[in-house]
Amino acid sequence: MYFFLQVALSGIATGAIYGLIAVGYSLTFLTTRILNFALGMWVMLGGMLTLSLVVRLGINPAISLVVVLAAMTLLGLVAERVSVFPFLRAGSDVWVMSTLAVGFLLIDFAEIIWGRTPAKVPGFLSNQPVRLGPIAMLPQQVAILVVAAIVFVALDLFFRRTLLGKAFRAVAHSGEVSTLMGINVRRIQAGSFAGACALAGLAGFMVVPLTLAEPQMGTVLGLKAFAIAIIAGLAAPRGILLCGLGYGALEGLISGYFYTGIRDILGFSLMIVVLYFKPEGLFGHPQEERA
Amino acid sequence: MSRARIGIAALVVIALIAAPAVLPGTYYTYLAIIVFIYGIVAIGLNILAGYAGQLSLGHAALMAVGAYTTALLSKALAPVPFFTATGLHIWLGIVVGTVAAALFGALLAIPALRVRGPYLAMVTIAFGWVIFKILQEWSSFTGGDLGISGVPKPRIASLTLIIKQYYYVVLAMFIIALAAQYRLVTSQFGLRLRAMKYSEIGVASVGVNVFRVKVAVFTLSAAFAGLGGALFAHQQNYISPDNFQFFSSVFFLLAVLFGGAGTLLGPIIGAAVLTLLPEMLHDFDTYRLIVYGVFILITLYLLPNGVMGALEGRGRKTLTDRPAGASAEVAPRWIAKAEGAMLEVRNISRSFGGLQALRNVSVQIAPGSVHALIGPNGAGKTTLINILTGFYQADSGEVAMDGAVLHLRSLSDAALAGIARTFQTIKLFGDLAVLDHVMVGFARHSQVGILGALVGGSRLRSEAERHAADARQLIQFVGLHQFENAPASQLAYGHRRLVEIARALALRPKVLLLDEPAAGLVAQEIEALADVIRRLRDCGVTILLVEHHMDLIVSVSDRITVLDYGEVIAEGSPAAIQKDPRVVTAYLGKSLAAA
Repeated sequence: MYFFLQVALSGIATGAIYGLIAVGYSLTFLTTRILNFALGMWVMLGGMLTLSLVVRLGINPAISLVVVLAAMTLLGLVAERVSVFPFLRAGSDVWVMSTLAVGFLLIDFAEIIWGRTPAKVPGFLSNQPVRLGPIAMLPQQVAILVVAAIVFVALDLFFRRTLLGKAFRAVAHSGEVSTLMGINVRRIQAGSFAGACALAGLAGFMVVPLTLAEPQMGTVLGLKAFAIAIIAGLAAPRGILLCGLGYGALEGLISGYFYTGIRDILGFSLMIVVLYFKPEGLFGHPQEERA
Repeated sequence: MSRARIGIAALVVIALIAAPAVLPGTYYTYLAIIVFIYGIVAIGLNILAGYAGQLSLGHAALMAVGAYTTALLSKALAPVPFFTATGLHIWLGIVVGTVAAALFGALLAIPALRVRGPYLAMVTIAFGWVIFKILQEWSSFTGGDLGISGVPKPRIASLTLIIKQYYYVVLAMFIIALAAQYRLVTSQFGLRLRAMKYSEIGVASVGVNVFRVKVAVFTLSAAFAGLGGALFAHQQNYISPDNFQFFSSVFFLLAVLFGGAGTLLGPIIGAAVLTLLPEMLHDFDTYRLIVYGVFILITLYLLPNGVMGALEGRGRKTLTDRPAGASAEVAPRWIAKAEGAMLEVRNISRSFGGLQALRNVSVQIAPGSVHALIGPNGAGKTTLINILTGFYQADSGEVAMDGAVLHLRSLSDAALAGIARTFQTIKLFGDLAVLDHVMVGFARHSQVGILGALVGGSRLRSEAERHAADARQLIQFVGLHQFENAPASQLAYGHRRLVEIARALALRPKVLLLDEPAAGLVAQEIEALADVIRRLRDCGVTILLVEHHMDLIVSVSDRITVLDYGEVIAEGSPAAIQKDPRVVTAYLGKSLAAA
C-alpha cells in the first residue's frame, strides 16, 4: 500500500506539469480555434532561460521566475503576431505548420545559444526529501503541486469572477458577438496565446531541476500535455488539471509496478480507448453536427 | 486532360526515366528515390487529410509497419532455397508489408471514426507513439533501438539491383500511386470523400455509409504509407525506430499542407521541397532548422493554401463569367415517374430529458401529395423530421412506408428506404461545384466503391456519364443550370437551398422531407421554391413540408398537420386549418383569438 502511494505520488508532480502545459492548449483553442503545436518547445525555452538566469548568472530563482514569465509573454506576443494572426482569417489548417515552424526556430536558436549538451539545474529548494510517514517526496515536487494548484485556482477565479476573464469566455463562445459587445477580440486572442506561452514557461521553470536542460527537453512534455488536454476535453480547464494529475499518477504506477519502457505504450493505448468511448474527452460535452 | 498537359507530363516522365543516366554519382539518384518514397506516403496522407479531411499525425507509424514487416519477412525467408534463387522474398515482403499497414490503418479507423478535429489528431498521435514505443521496447522481435540491419537488397533472380536500377522500381510505384490518387479523387467515390470533409450529415442523408467510407479511406491511405515504408526498408538496408518518429509524421503532414492539401500534385511538391531543402542546407548545419522554419513561414504568408492550392485558385473562374440560361419546364427523366410512397407516423413519442418533444403523434401522408407540418417554434417539427430520417430514434411508436414498418437507425438507413431530406441549416459541401453536389446524391444508385474507382473501366465511365446527365437535368429542374459548375459556397442563400433539393432528388426519393426550405429567402426566391415543389408533386413525389411561411404553405399544400407542444392539434385542408380556432390560439394566443 505504501509502495502504491509512493509511486503514484512520485508521478503526480510530473502530472501537474502536464496539466500546466495542457491548459495552454485549451486557452488558445477556446479563443481562436487554433492550437500552438509547438508548446513543448516553449516549455523548453522556459527551461533554458531558467538555466541561464539561475545557474549561469546566479540570479535569485524568484526574480528569475518573474523574468522568465515576462520574457515568455513578450515572445509569445511576437510569435502570435508573426505565426498565428496572419492566418486566423484563412480558416484553414495553416496554423499547424506556422506554429510548428516557430517551434523549429526555437529549437535551433536554443541549440545555437545553449548547445546540445544537457545541463543540470540544481533544485531551488533543498534536496532533502519531505517525509509524510513512510512516503517521501522531493521539495521540488511538492512545490510543483502547490504552484499548479495556485495557478489553476487563480485561472478559475480569473475566468469566473473578473470582467476580463468573462470577456475571454465570451470570445471563446463567439468572437463575432463579443465584438458587437465591445470586447477587443484581437487583444484577447493575442493575450491567450501569450498566456499559454507564459504557462509553458512556468512549467519549464518548475520542471527543469527534475530533468536536464537541453533543446529537446520539451518535445515529449508538449506531446503528453496535448494528450492530457484532449483526454480531458479542450474546453474543460478544471478537468485538465485532474487528468494531468491522474495521468501522472498512472505513469508513476506503471513505472513502479512494471517498467518504464512499457509506460507510454499502456498510457497512450488507454487514451485511445478513452477517446473511443468519450470522443469529446472525459469532461467535454458533445459538439456533434446537428440536423 | 488537355493536350498541352499530356505533353508536359510526357516530358516529365522522359526526364525522370533519363535522370539516373544523366545524374553524376549515386547521391542524386538516392535523393530522388527518397523523394519518390516520401511522395508515395504523402499522396496517401493527402487522400486522407487533404481530400477526406481526416487529419492524421500517425503516418510514420504506418510506414514503420510496412518497413518492419518486409524487413522481418524477407530476412526470414532469405535462406529458403526457392527464395534464394528467385529473390521473390523481397517482392513478397513489400506486398505483405503494404497489406499489413493497410490492416493497421483499418484498425486505426475504428477509434478514429468517433472523433474529429484535434481529437482525431490525438488518436493518430497516440497510435503512432504506441507503435514507435513497441518498436523500441520489443527488442527480441524488432531489434529495439538498434533496429534491423541487413535487410535484403532488392534483386530479381540472382541480379541484385543497384541503386540506379532500384530507382526505376520506386519510380514505377510512385507513378502508380499518383495515377491511383487521380482515379480515386476524380471518381464518384472520390466525390463522396471530398463531400464528407465538409458535412458528414450531408453525405449520410443521401445514403452514404460514412463509417464504411472512412474505414476504406483509412485503409487505402495506410496502404500507401506501408508501401512507402517497405520500399524505404529495402533502399536503406537498415531500419530503426528513429526513422519513424513522431517528427516524421509531422513532416508528412507539413508536406501535404505545404504543397497544397486536396490537390493532385500538392503532396509531391511538398515532399520534394521539404526533403531537398534540408539537403541543400547541409553546408550551414547549425542554422538548418532556422532556415527551414523561416522558409515555411514565408511560404505560408505568400501561399496560405499551399503551392498547388495557389496555382489552382488562380485558374478558378468566378460566377460572373457564366452565361444565364433559360429555365426548363421539362421533368427530369430521373424523377419523372416517381413512385411516391405513403408515409405513416404511428403514435410516435420522444422526449429529451424532461422535455416531451413529441407525444403520441400520428400523421398519414398520402402518396404523391404535399403535406405541410406547421406549428410554433419548439412544437416538435424538426424532431419529427429527424425521427423520420433516422437521425433520432423514437421512444415509442413506429414509422411505416406503404404499410411496411421501417427500422431507421441512421440517416443513411432512411435514405436507403427512399426518404430524402433537406436541412434547416444548410448542409452543403463547401467549394464543391453544384454539379458535384448532385453527383454525390447519386451515391445510393452508384456501383462504384473504392476498388471500382481504382480499377474500374468502361462501366465506371458510362455510369459517371449517365449520372452526370441526370444530375444536369435535376439542376435544370430546380433552375440552377447557369451555376452548374460554380462552387456551391459562392451561390446566393436561396440558390443553396435549391442545391440541397436537387441533391436530395438524386436519391430518387419516394418521400422528400423539406425542413423549412423557405427560411431566409426573399419573396422572389420563395415563388421559385413553390414552383419547384408543385412540379415535384406533378412528378409524383410525396412531400412533407415543414414551414412557417403561411403563403407558401397555403399555395402548395394538399393537407396540413398542426403540431403544438409535441401534439397534433389539428389536421385538414389549408382552408379548414386557417379557420381552426385551436390553430389560431396556438399561434396568436388566447386573448387575441377571442378578440
